[in-house]
Amino acid sequence: MHAQLLQPAFSDPVLDAQRGFRAALKALAGPGVVQTLHAAPSLEGLAPATYALCLALLDVDTPLWLAPSFDTPGIRANLAFHCGCPLTARRKDARFALLGAADLLDLSGFELGNERYPDQSCTLLVQLERLDGGATLHWRGPGIEHSNPVSLPLAEGFWRERDRRNVFPLGLDLLLSAGHDLIGLPRSTRIAQERA
Amino acid sequence: MNPVPHTARQHWIGVLARARRSELQPHEAALRDVEYQLIRAPEIGMTLVRGRMGGNGAPFNLGEMSVTRCVVRLADGRTGYSYLAGRDKVHAELAALADAHLQGGQQGHWLEQIITPLAEAQAQRQARKAADTAASKVEFFTLVRGEN
Repeated sequence: MHAQLLQPAFSDPVLDAQRGFRAALKALAGPGVVQTLHAAPSLEGLAPATYALCLALLDVDTPLWLAPSFDTPGIRANLAFHCGCPLTARRKDARFALLGAADLLDLSGFELGNERYPDQSCTLLVQLERLDGGATLHWRGPGIEHSNPVSLPLAEGFWRERDRRNVFPLGLDLLLSAGHDLIGLPRSTRIAQERA
Repeated sequence: MNPVPHTARQHWIGVLARARRSELQPHEAALRDVEYQLIRAPEIGMTLVRGRMGGNGAPFNLGEMSVTRCVVRLADGRTGYSYLAGRDKVHAELAALADAHLQGGQQGHWLEQIITPLAEAQAQRQARKAADTAASKVEFFTLVRGEN
């Protein structure tokens, strides 16, 4: 049954996974700078950049929480086959979560890490329609020399949700993707609204 | 789920994995004569072999071995899997193709063409080896020395 939904993934598994991993590293090291993954496969419901991140980052040790909009038989079957990652229904157990823009208004329940191991937080993979077109915000913080103007099309409520869970060193790291592009938003980045 | 009984598929996947590449290659043209794509291109990896002393003791790690695996999908959606010992990617692809063909409507044809002859050849090899081993078998016995 499931087997009929399977699609080929990376054409060159080793190098493509390394490219995906490299893009994720650069995205988090330089928040707000767009990274592009050119030769990534796509899956019904998953943009190439999102799918490439999944293939590069997920494995048997990383339980994944799927937002309802991504919980399709095709996505389940292909992630289980190519990544071998367990899928969890409980947010607390997830090391990675796959969300859409609408899911960002409620970030409750995700693991934020703890004082001793802040790295044990859940990393959110967020798929958006596009990475621009929203209100321009100025990002500051580690990895940004002065400030970085980014105009993600995200609702106001998301930034409040993020702030509420951002008690350094605890917090949530996000990788936002659209099409072949992705942007990193680590917990260390500070956001300032542009004053017109 | 799978339309083919589980045990029958286990049998032919085992036969395909134990076959020699030279035994599958005569069928290569027939196996490849179909539209198919590689879901998982043949890839080589390692797997840990575990054993149990005497078959029922506590499990222990015996060692690692190289394994090649492959998954193909035919145009009609059937998927064929192969896992085999060693590093032979061509063998893995042919075995996966054979598994896919064997799940289709012409199962009888493929069983007769590939699996039955291969299984027989393997049984013969096994029997020859068993005979060779049996010929060198040594029976140990202890002479009991009497007290008087």
